[in-house]
Amino acid sequence: MKRAIAMSLGLGLGLMATTAIAETKNPGTFVFLWTDDVQSFDPAYIADTPSSYGVLNVYSRLLNYKGSEISEFVPSLSTEVPSLENGLIVEHDDGSVSYTFPIREGVFAHRVGIKGDDGSISWELYDTLTDEQKAAMVPGYGEITAEDVQYSLLRAMLMGQSWMSNAITEVVTAGKYPTIADWVKDVGEVDSIDDASPEALRQVYDALASQIVVDGDKVTITLPSSFPATLGVMALPFGTSIVDKEWTADVGGWTGSGDDWREFYRPELSADALFDKENGTGPFMLEEWDKTDRRITLKRFDNYFMGPASLERVVIRTVPEWTTRRLQLLSGDADFVAAPVEFLDELSKTEGVKVIDSLPKVFSRGLFFFWPIDDNDNPAIGSGKLDGKGIPPEFFGDIDVRKGFNYAQNYDVLIQQVLLGKTVQSRGPSVRGIMGYRPDSPVYTYDLDKAAEHFKKAFDGKLWDVGFEFTAYIQEGNTTANAAMSILQQGLQRVNPKFKMKIQALPSASLQALRNNREKPAVPFTFMGWGPDYSDPGGPLGAATYYLASTGLVGGFSGQGYRDLMAEHFDPLLAEAWASSDPAVREPIYAKLQEMSYDYATTQFLFEEFGYIVVRDNIDGYVHNMITYGAWDFYPITKGD
Amino acid sequence: MMTYALRRLLMLPVVLFVLSLMIFGLQMSLSPTQRLATYAPSDDFLKGGQESIRMMIEEYGLNDPFFVQYGRWIGNVLQGNLGWSETARQPVAVALTRLFPATMELVVLAFIPGLLLAIYFGSRAGIHHNRWPDHIIRLFTILGWSFPTYVFGLLMLLIFYSTLDWFPPGRLSQWAVVEVTGDGFTRYTGANTLDALLNGNFAVFFDALRHMAAPVITLTYVNLASITRVMRTSMLEALRQDYVRTARAKGMPRRVVELHHARRNALLPVATIAGMELAFMMGGVVITESIFDYSGLGQFAAKSAATLDFPAILGFGLYFAVVLVVLNLLVDLVYPLLDPRVKTR
Repeated sequence: MKRAIAMSLGLGLGLMATTAIAETKNPGTFVFLWTDDVQSFDPAYIADTPSSYGVLNVYSRLLNYKGSEISEFVPSLSTEVPSLENGLIVEHDDGSVSYTFPIREGVFAHRVGIKGDDGSISWELYDTLTDEQKAAMVPGYGEITAEDVQYSLLRAMLMGQSWMSNAITEVVTAGKYPTIADWVKDVGEVDSIDDASPEALRQVYDALASQIVVDGDKVTITLPSSFPATLGVMALPFGTSIVDKEWTADVGGWTGSGDDWREFYRPELSADALFDKENGTGPFMLEEWDKTDRRITLKRFDNYFMGPASLERVVIRTVPEWTTRRLQLLSGDADFVAAPVEFLDELSKTEGVKVIDSLPKVFSRGLFFFWPIDDNDNPAIGSGKLDGKGIPPEFFGDIDVRKGFNYAQNYDVLIQQVLLGKTVQSRGPSVRGIMGYRPDSPVYTYDLDKAAEHFKKAFDGKLWDVGFEFTAYIQEGNTTANAAMSILQQGLQRVNPKFKMKIQALPSASLQALRNNREKPAVPFTFMGWGPDYSDPGGPLGAATYYLASTGLVGGFSGQGYRDLMAEHFDPLLAEAWASSDPAVREPIYAKLQEMSYDYATTQFLFEEFGYIVVRDNIDGYVHNMITYGAWDFYPITKGD
Repeated sequence: MMTYALRRLLMLPVVLFVLSLMIFGLQMSLSPTQRLATYAPSDDFLKGGQESIRMMIEEYGLNDPFFVQYGRWIGNVLQGNLGWSETARQPVAVALTRLFPATMELVVLAFIPGLLLAIYFGSRAGIHHNRWPDHIIRLFTILGWSFPTYVFGLLMLLIFYSTLDWFPPGRLSQWAVVEVTGDGFTRYTGANTLDALLNGNFAVFFDALRHMAAPVITLTYVNLASITRVMRTSMLEALRQDYVRTARAKGMPRRVVELHHARRNALLPVATIAGMELAFMMGGVVITESIFDYSGLGQFAAKSAATLDFPAILGFGLYFAVVLVVLNLLVDLVYPLLDPRVKTR
């Protein structure tokens, strides 16, 4: 309703607004208005895309993604991208693989340690140093060295806080241990990391440190076996971002000792030393984070090792109200605004505004089947029986039910009318650009006859006779989810009027809570989308694994029935593909897995997620990289006069 | 009078205790897993798996009995620790302390002129009952009543920001933010106008005023309408009283009768409703703050509720209870000043 009123007022008084199409305001400052929040500035803590905006711009990593490429890299703190050709990747006879990163010299963090007359060390902004202060700089205090790289990677893994930091543990152990806690439990033979002895903790630290070795200005990471996505993980703006060891210890973070790392394991956000401060080497410095005003100000680091950015400042503000954001964009007070998809056409015709849309994303959205469903007083499944007034817990375990649902969805209406034709139908876990995607692989189409055919076969024909009734859940405020469910609801009703699917919107936290029962989730059917964390479809964080492994993310919450299906049919192929490093061997396997996701109707894959940006027309330089989920790298951004 | 005030003050802890039990009880109606989900910053949390969920339930003591959890919470509250707000990314107490000046600044600027104007307009309308000043004021207040804040706020933005570029949203322009966060500016109170004056920085002062103008006008108008109507009705009632007729019969000047005798008595119901209005405004004006991108308690409360940020909801609930009780007390203390008969009762 609010949106409708806003829209009417916006259109009705649009003429009035045109007078505000303005001259360049705040030259040199990029004002970025969104609806998200940054959780923390600690790269080892964060795992979500909005938080990566901060870390991406204030820290540097060993490598960066090459523009919008998702499998190609360029040097950053490492002067070279390791490869077999340049000898920086070495495959050993025992199956282990080493990656060597030569660390760039003369890279300084935003603050460096200066020795005072009394011998004490103070941290000063590098940009403001006088020659005298530069002469008093303490070696290693703010100057990035190979030790800092080793420290940063160890810190992220030992902190064990975020999924993305744990991804480094998976890389270093080649998938053997998903978290440092698992490693400790194994070594210490205990049930919980809390019960581990100091010796066990030290043993794990030593083992970990022995795999990340400093040799002069080089850091070598040795993995017990091949992990093809290693470089991809290293370039992500999360735990592989490099922090300065001395500064981190000075502000209360981990000292780097193998004896006290447990004290810094999984800290409360408020207790994390790097929560709202930073000393990175990135193109911008955190000038201010006003949490009350929900405003982050980044200031240009003039001594950035790749040269200073064009922008002097970036102001990131959370403005929940769309109309306010829109007016600020029109008046030139904002340079970027997060905009609802339904306003894209109108905005693209607005003077002074530039819309870049149909930007690909690395994941798809779909409707997810769960089985068995929790039948303990669960209102979502009604009677809990196949009697027309509910569904049995194993409802979606019947392949004909899943296929019937998939044929009852009108994909064209959803994509062309709801999503304005800005994306394409999803073909499975792997989207365009990911290994295993083939443009000619089979997809479901809206076919009520076929839907009826499968529903008639389900539950030996009983389902067709008695019908069903259950509740599907969507997240509150998600209009696309609502549309997808509603279109399906209509399709089901057309197939058989006895097929009743109710749709209920829940707050995100409530929906999560209903999904959290690993053995028997309380959600029968919901709208979601999960994206991989690197471009390789395999390994623990790849798209195919996420969806199709019994140990994958989707398997984790979809119920034991789903996991059993994956274990029986998909796990062996996933293991086979991951064991090989030859793309020619791997690609057909992932393509086969993609096809099998169709054959078994594992999920109702709907559409490939897409992105878009809305900026003032004097803003240039945005680079969209889908593996970083379109995170804004402000370094190449320019703002014209 | 002092005894009366003390008696009311002594009730405050009891009211707060009962309120805290109720608010905490609401949260406890959710399962430990549901409450744990509120600690999850994002869906990525799920990637931690079932074991991590169990660990976190233990870590936060979410399986403990009600009174153990309540005792732990209230113990912390008494030490000034209201918990950590995921919404605000800071301790709840800090968030409330920092947001309070912003909302207070807005409320004071909107409430005081609004109240004075409402008393004036209400009196005029009552005095000129069924004549053109009354008709104009009634039309004015009906419009104020009928305009949803959301629509009125948007209109204000479209006219005064989009078209005229006079009153931008937010609390300060970008140049002023740089100034305020710079070394040469001291944050004494957190209220931009006051701090700017104390720093002698008139450019920032006027910029802050410029940003507050639209939300202040919106709030003033909306509140003015309701209080004016109460004042008008109350004034009409007072003007019909015997003592007014007597005063007129005795030949007292009309102005004295209307403004001194009738209006003073007519203020009693206005004091009650104004107290409540003020309390609700102090609780944050969610829609106004959202439309005008004004970071205050209203936005904080709304977002906390939407994301089930329980420490923030509990902390805000307590804050609001205190405001409500204190303002009720103040209104009670104002009564005897307006009507000495209350004191003797």
